[in-house]
Amino acid sequence: MSEVEDRLRRALRPIDPPPGFAERVMRALPDQRPTATVTPIDIVRTSPRASFWRRVSAPAALAASLVAAVLLGQHVAIQQEERAGLAARQELMQALRLTSQKLDDAYQAVQGTPAPVQENEENPS
Amino acid sequence: MIRESPIAVNQTTAPDTPSLLLRARGGDASAFESLVRMHQSSVFSIGYRMLNRRDAAEDLAQDVFLQLYRRLDSIESLEHCGYWLRRVAANLAIDWLRHAAYTTTQPLEAGAEIPAQQADHDPLLNRELDRLLGELAPAARAVMVLRYQEDCDVAEIATALDMPVNTVKSHIKRSLTALRGKVIGARLITAEELS
Repeated sequence: MSEVEDRLRRALRPIDPPPGFAERVMRALPDQRPTATVTPIDIVRTSPRASFWRRVSAPAALAASLVAAVLLGQHVAIQQEERAGLAARQELMQALRLTSQKLDDAYQAVQGTPAPVQENEENPS
Repeated sequence: MIRESPIAVNQTTAPDTPSLLLRARGGDASAFESLVRMHQSSVFSIGYRMLNRRDAAEDLAQDVFLQLYRRLDSIESLEHCGYWLRRVAANLAIDWLRHAAYTTTQPLEAGAEIPAQQADHDPLLNRELDRLLGELAPAARAVMVLRYQEDCDVAEIATALDMPVNTVKSHIKRSLTALRGKVIGARLITAEELS
Protein backbone atom coordinates (compact mmCIF):
# COMPACT_ATOMS: atom_id res chain seq x y z
CA MET A 1 0.00 0.00 0.00
CA SER A 2 1.38 3.43 -0.91
CA GLU A 3 1.80 6.10 1.68
CA VAL A 4 -0.89 8.19 0.04
CA GLU A 5 -3.36 5.36 0.41
CA ASP A 6 -2.36 4.85 4.00
CA ARG A 7 -2.85 8.55 4.71
CA LEU A 8 -6.19 8.52 2.95
CA ARG A 9 -7.34 5.53 4.94
CA ARG A 10 -6.45 7.26 8.19
CA ALA A 11 -7.92 10.59 7.13
CA LEU A 12 -11.18 8.98 6.01
CA ARG A 13 -11.95 7.08 9.16
CA PRO A 14 -15.67 6.99 9.94
CA ILE A 15 -16.89 9.84 12.09
CA ASP A 16 -19.85 9.95 14.41
CA PRO A 17 -23.03 11.80 13.54
CA PRO A 18 -24.14 14.58 15.88
CA PRO A 19 -25.45 13.46 19.28
CA GLY A 20 -29.04 12.30 19.27
CA PHE A 21 -28.96 11.23 15.64
CA ALA A 22 -30.42 7.77 16.26
CA GLU A 23 -33.22 9.26 18.37
CA ARG A 24 -34.06 11.71 15.59
CA VAL A 25 -34.18 8.85 13.08
CA MET A 26 -36.49 6.90 15.37
CA ARG A 27 -38.78 9.91 15.76
CA ALA A 28 -38.92 10.34 11.98
CA LEU A 29 -40.04 6.77 11.37
CA PRO A 30 -43.61 6.30 10.21
CA ASP A 31 -45.98 4.85 12.79
CA GLN A 32 -46.35 1.58 10.99
CA ARG A 33 -43.85 -0.10 8.73
CA PRO A 34 -45.32 -1.01 5.33
CA THR A 35 -44.63 -4.69 5.37
CA ALA A 36 -46.40 -7.81 4.24
CA THR A 37 -44.26 -10.47 5.84
CA VAL A 38 -44.80 -9.32 9.40
CA THR A 39 -48.39 -10.49 9.17
CA PRO A 40 -48.58 -14.19 10.01
CA ILE A 41 -49.61 -16.40 7.13
CA ASP A 42 -52.58 -17.85 9.10
CA ILE A 43 -54.09 -14.41 9.44
CA VAL A 44 -53.79 -13.78 5.75
CA ARG A 45 -55.45 -17.09 5.01
CA THR A 46 -58.31 -16.46 7.41
CA SER A 47 -59.10 -13.09 5.87
CA PRO A 48 -61.48 -13.97 2.99
CA ARG A 49 -61.78 -10.40 1.81
CA ALA A 50 -58.00 -10.01 1.43
CA SER A 51 -57.57 -13.39 -0.25
CA PHE A 52 -60.51 -12.63 -2.57
CA TRP A 53 -58.90 -9.41 -3.75
CA ARG A 54 -55.52 -11.10 -4.02
CA ARG A 55 -57.05 -13.80 -6.26
CA VAL A 56 -59.14 -11.40 -8.30
CA SER A 57 -56.69 -8.54 -8.77
CA ALA A 58 -54.44 -10.18 -11.38
CA PRO A 59 -57.24 -11.47 -13.66
CA ALA A 60 -59.08 -8.18 -13.26
CA ALA A 61 -56.01 -6.24 -14.29
CA LEU A 62 -55.55 -8.56 -17.27
CA ALA A 63 -59.19 -8.18 -18.30
CA ALA A 64 -59.00 -4.41 -17.96
CA SER A 65 -55.90 -4.37 -20.12
CA LEU A 66 -57.60 -6.48 -22.79
CA VAL A 67 -60.67 -4.26 -22.81
CA ALA A 68 -58.50 -1.18 -23.08
CA ALA A 69 -56.55 -2.74 -25.96
CA VAL A 70 -59.77 -3.66 -27.83
CA LEU A 71 -61.24 -0.20 -27.35
CA LEU A 72 -58.04 1.41 -28.49
CA GLY A 73 -57.97 -0.84 -31.57
CA GLN A 74 -61.55 0.04 -32.41
CA HIS A 75 -60.85 3.72 -32.01
CA VAL A 76 -57.86 3.49 -34.33
CA ALA A 77 -59.86 1.51 -36.92
CA ILE A 78 -62.68 4.08 -36.87
CA GLN A 79 -60.22 6.89 -37.34
CA GLN A 80 -58.62 5.08 -40.28
CA GLU A 81 -62.03 4.55 -41.89
CA GLU A 82 -62.89 8.20 -41.45
CA ARG A 83 -59.63 9.23 -43.02
CA ALA A 84 -60.18 6.84 -45.97
CA GLY A 85 -63.73 8.17 -46.44
CA LEU A 86 -62.55 11.75 -46.51
CA ALA A 87 -59.88 10.90 -49.07
CA ALA A 88 -62.43 9.12 -51.29
CA ARG A 89 -64.78 12.06 -51.02
CA GLN A 90 -62.06 14.45 -52.07
CA GLU A 91 -61.19 12.24 -55.05
CA LEU A 92 -64.82 12.09 -56.09
CA MET A 93 -65.17 15.86 -55.85
CA GLN A 94 -62.06 16.30 -57.93
CA ALA A 95 -63.39 13.87 -60.56
CA LEU A 96 -66.73 15.70 -60.69
CA ARG A 97 -64.95 19.01 -61.09
CA LEU A 98 -62.90 17.64 -63.98
CA THR A 99 -65.96 16.10 -65.62
CA SER A 100 -67.88 19.33 -65.29
CA GLN A 101 -65.02 21.24 -66.84
CA LYS A 102 -64.82 18.81 -69.76
CA LEU A 103 -68.57 19.09 -70.32
CA ASP A 104 -68.31 22.87 -70.31
CA ASP A 105 -65.52 22.69 -72.86
CA ALA A 106 -67.55 20.36 -75.03
CA TYR A 107 -70.61 22.59 -74.73
CA GLN A 108 -68.58 25.61 -75.74
CA ALA A 109 -67.18 23.74 -78.69
CA VAL A 110 -70.62 22.65 -79.76
CA GLN A 111 -72.05 26.16 -79.46
CA GLY A 112 -69.21 27.70 -81.53
CA THR A 113 -69.63 25.51 -84.70
CA PRO A 114 -72.77 24.84 -86.79
CA ALA A 115 -74.14 21.38 -86.54
CA PRO A 116 -73.72 19.48 -89.85
CA VAL A 117 -76.60 17.22 -89.03
CA GLN A 118 -79.05 20.13 -89.11
CA GLU A 119 -77.95 21.21 -92.68
CA ASN A 120 -78.58 17.72 -94.00
CA GLU A 121 -82.03 17.66 -92.52
CA GLU A 122 -82.97 21.16 -93.92
CA ASN A 123 -82.11 20.25 -97.56
CA PRO A 124 -83.62 16.83 -98.11
CA SER A 125 -85.10 17.58 -101.50
CA MET B 1 -17.07 11.88 21.58
CA ILE B 2 -16.51 8.18 21.89
CA ARG B 3 -16.65 6.22 18.72
CA GLU B 4 -16.45 2.51 18.27
CA SER B 5 -14.86 1.12 15.17
CA PRO B 6 -17.21 -0.84 12.88
CA ILE B 7 -15.28 -4.03 13.59
CA ALA B 8 -15.68 -3.61 17.30
CA VAL B 9 -19.38 -2.95 16.92
CA ASN B 10 -19.84 -6.07 14.81
CA GLN B 11 -17.98 -8.16 17.34
CA THR B 12 -19.99 -6.94 20.26
CA THR B 13 -23.30 -7.43 18.48
CA ALA B 14 -22.47 -10.66 16.70
CA PRO B 15 -24.24 -13.05 19.08
CA ASP B 16 -27.47 -11.09 18.83
CA THR B 17 -27.42 -10.33 15.15
CA PRO B 18 -29.90 -12.82 13.70
CA SER B 19 -32.59 -12.01 16.21
CA LEU B 20 -31.84 -8.30 15.89
CA LEU B 21 -32.79 -8.25 12.24
CA LEU B 22 -35.79 -10.47 12.82
CA ARG B 23 -36.99 -8.32 15.70
CA ALA B 24 -36.55 -5.16 13.63
CA ARG B 25 -38.58 -6.75 10.84
CA GLY B 26 -41.24 -7.63 13.33
CA GLY B 27 -41.61 -3.97 14.29
CA ASP B 28 -39.36 -3.90 17.37
CA ALA B 29 -38.28 -0.26 17.52
CA SER B 30 -35.39 -0.90 19.89
CA ALA B 31 -33.97 -3.50 17.50
CA PHE B 32 -34.16 -1.08 14.62
CA GLU B 33 -32.54 1.59 16.76
CA SER B 34 -29.69 -0.84 17.42
CA LEU B 35 -29.30 -1.28 13.69
CA VAL B 36 -29.17 2.49 13.28
CA ARG B 37 -26.55 2.85 16.00
CA MET B 38 -24.53 0.02 14.49
CA HIS B 39 -24.28 1.65 11.09
CA GLN B 40 -24.79 5.34 11.77
CA SER B 41 -21.09 6.28 11.66
CA SER B 42 -20.55 4.57 8.35
CA VAL B 43 -23.61 6.08 6.69
CA PHE B 44 -23.09 9.53 8.15
CA SER B 45 -19.42 9.54 7.13
CA ILE B 46 -20.24 8.60 3.56
CA GLY B 47 -22.66 11.51 3.43
CA TYR B 48 -20.21 13.86 5.08
CA ARG B 49 -17.32 12.98 2.78
CA MET B 50 -19.54 13.16 -0.28
CA LEU B 51 -21.46 16.34 0.52
CA ASN B 52 -18.87 18.13 2.69
CA ARG B 53 -21.51 19.36 5.09
CA ARG B 54 -22.56 17.90 8.40
CA ASP B 55 -26.18 19.05 8.15
CA ALA B 56 -26.51 17.60 4.67
CA ALA B 57 -24.81 14.42 5.79
CA GLU B 58 -27.29 14.07 8.63
CA ASP B 59 -30.23 14.62 6.27
CA LEU B 60 -28.84 12.02 3.92
CA ALA B 61 -28.17 9.50 6.67
CA GLN B 62 -31.68 9.96 8.03
CA ASP B 63 -33.12 9.46 4.57
CA VAL B 64 -31.06 6.29 4.11
CA PHE B 65 -32.24 4.83 7.41
CA LEU B 66 -35.85 5.63 6.57
CA GLN B 67 -35.40 3.76 3.31
CA LEU B 68 -33.91 0.87 5.25
CA TYR B 69 -36.94 0.85 7.53
CA ARG B 70 -39.22 0.51 4.53
CA ARG B 71 -37.07 -2.21 2.94
CA LEU B 72 -36.26 -4.30 6.00
CA ASP B 73 -38.02 -7.28 4.49
CA SER B 74 -35.52 -7.43 1.64
CA ILE B 75 -32.50 -7.43 3.97
CA GLU B 76 -31.13 -10.93 4.33
CA SER B 77 -28.43 -10.49 6.97
CA LEU B 78 -26.55 -7.87 8.92
CA GLU B 79 -23.74 -8.06 6.41
CA HIS B 80 -26.22 -7.45 3.64
CA CYS B 81 -27.63 -4.59 5.70
CA GLY B 82 -24.23 -2.90 5.86
CA TYR B 83 -23.67 -3.39 2.16
CA TRP B 84 -27.15 -2.11 1.38
CA LEU B 85 -26.68 1.00 3.51
CA ARG B 86 -23.32 1.85 1.92
CA ARG B 87 -24.76 1.35 -1.54
CA VAL B 88 -27.83 3.49 -0.94
CA ALA B 89 -25.87 6.21 0.88
CA ALA B 90 -23.26 6.52 -1.87
CA ASN B 91 -25.79 6.54 -4.68
CA LEU B 92 -28.10 8.95 -2.91
CA ALA B 93 -25.18 11.31 -2.30
CA ILE B 94 -24.19 11.15 -5.97
CA ASP B 95 -27.80 11.87 -6.87
CA TRP B 96 -27.97 14.87 -4.55
CA LEU B 97 -24.72 16.23 -5.92
CA ARG B 98 -25.87 15.82 -9.50
CA HIS B 99 -29.09 17.63 -8.77
CA ALA B 100 -27.07 20.45 -7.22
CA ALA B 101 -28.93 20.25 -3.95
CA TYR B 102 -25.60 20.48 -2.22
CA THR B 103 -22.58 22.11 -3.78
CA THR B 104 -19.10 20.85 -3.30
CA THR B 105 -17.62 24.30 -3.16
CA GLN B 106 -18.71 24.92 0.39
CA PRO B 107 -15.90 24.72 2.88
CA LEU B 108 -15.90 22.02 5.48
CA GLU B 109 -17.50 23.90 8.28
CA ALA B 110 -16.99 21.20 10.79
CA GLY B 111 -13.30 20.65 10.74
CA ALA B 112 -13.13 21.51 14.41
CA GLU B 113 -15.75 18.90 15.17
CA ILE B 114 -13.75 16.02 13.79
CA PRO B 115 -13.79 13.51 16.59
CA ALA B 116 -11.02 13.16 19.04
CA GLN B 117 -9.94 9.80 17.74
CA GLN B 118 -8.34 11.55 14.82
CA ALA B 119 -6.15 13.66 17.05
CA ASP B 120 -3.27 11.30 16.51
CA HIS B 121 -3.16 12.41 12.87
CA ASP B 122 -2.30 15.64 11.23
CA PRO B 123 -5.63 17.51 11.36
CA LEU B 124 -4.56 19.98 8.69
CA LEU B 125 -3.65 17.19 6.35
CA ASN B 126 -6.91 15.43 7.06
CA ARG B 127 -8.87 18.57 6.36
CA GLU B 128 -6.90 19.13 3.20
CA LEU B 129 -7.60 15.59 2.10
CA ASP B 130 -11.29 16.09 2.76
CA ARG B 131 -11.23 19.30 0.76
CA LEU B 132 -9.42 17.67 -2.14
CA LEU B 133 -11.76 14.74 -2.07
CA GLY B 134 -14.58 17.26 -2.47
CA GLU B 135 -12.99 18.47 -5.68
CA LEU B 136 -13.35 15.08 -7.34
CA ALA B 137 -16.34 14.30 -9.52
CA PRO B 138 -19.21 12.71 -7.55
CA ALA B 139 -18.69 9.20 -8.91
CA ALA B 140 -14.94 9.29 -8.34
CA ARG B 141 -15.49 10.66 -4.85
CA ALA B 142 -17.90 7.87 -4.03
CA VAL B 143 -15.37 5.33 -5.26
CA MET B 144 -12.65 6.81 -3.05
CA VAL B 145 -14.90 7.01 0.00
CA LEU B 146 -16.02 3.41 -0.35
CA ARG B 147 -12.46 2.27 -0.98
CA TYR B 148 -10.61 4.14 1.75
CA GLN B 149 -13.27 4.87 4.33
CA GLU B 150 -15.35 1.72 4.10
CA ASP B 151 -12.47 -0.49 2.97
CA CYS B 152 -14.55 -2.04 0.20
CA ASP B 153 -12.77 -3.96 -2.52
CA VAL B 154 -13.02 -3.03 -6.17
CA ALA B 155 -15.68 -5.61 -6.99
CA GLU B 156 -17.87 -4.47 -4.10
CA ILE B 157 -17.58 -0.85 -5.20
CA ALA B 158 -18.39 -1.78 -8.77
CA THR B 159 -21.54 -3.57 -7.65
CA ALA B 160 -22.56 -0.88 -5.21
CA LEU B 161 -22.17 1.95 -7.70
CA ASP B 162 -23.30 -0.08 -10.69
CA MET B 163 -20.19 0.57 -12.73
CA PRO B 164 -17.65 -1.69 -14.45
CA VAL B 165 -14.70 -2.91 -12.39
CA ASN B 166 -12.26 -1.28 -14.78
CA THR B 167 -14.00 2.06 -14.32
CA VAL B 168 -13.61 1.73 -10.56
CA LYS B 169 -9.92 0.93 -10.95
CA SER B 170 -9.51 3.85 -13.29
CA HIS B 171 -11.24 6.21 -10.83
CA ILE B 172 -8.97 5.06 -8.02
CA LYS B 173 -5.82 5.39 -10.06
CA ARG B 174 -6.65 8.82 -11.43
CA SER B 175 -7.87 10.14 -8.10
CA LEU B 176 -4.77 8.92 -6.31
CA THR B 177 -2.60 10.51 -8.95
CA ALA B 178 -4.48 13.77 -8.65
CA LEU B 179 -4.36 13.75 -4.86
CA ARG B 180 -0.72 12.82 -4.82
CA GLY B 181 0.15 15.47 -7.37
CA LYS B 182 -1.92 18.27 -5.91
CA VAL B 183 -1.40 18.11 -2.27
CA ILE B 184 -0.32 15.08 -0.63
CA GLY B 185 3.23 15.12 -1.86
CA ALA B 186 4.08 18.46 -0.39
CA ARG B 187 1.97 17.88 2.70
CA LEU B 188 3.42 14.51 3.38
CA ILE B 189 6.94 15.76 3.07
CA THR B 190 6.16 18.58 5.46
CA ALA B 191 4.39 16.27 7.87
CA GLU B 192 7.19 13.79 7.82
CA GLU B 193 9.76 16.48 8.36
CA LEU B 194 7.81 17.92 11.28
CA SER B 195 7.44 14.51 12.88
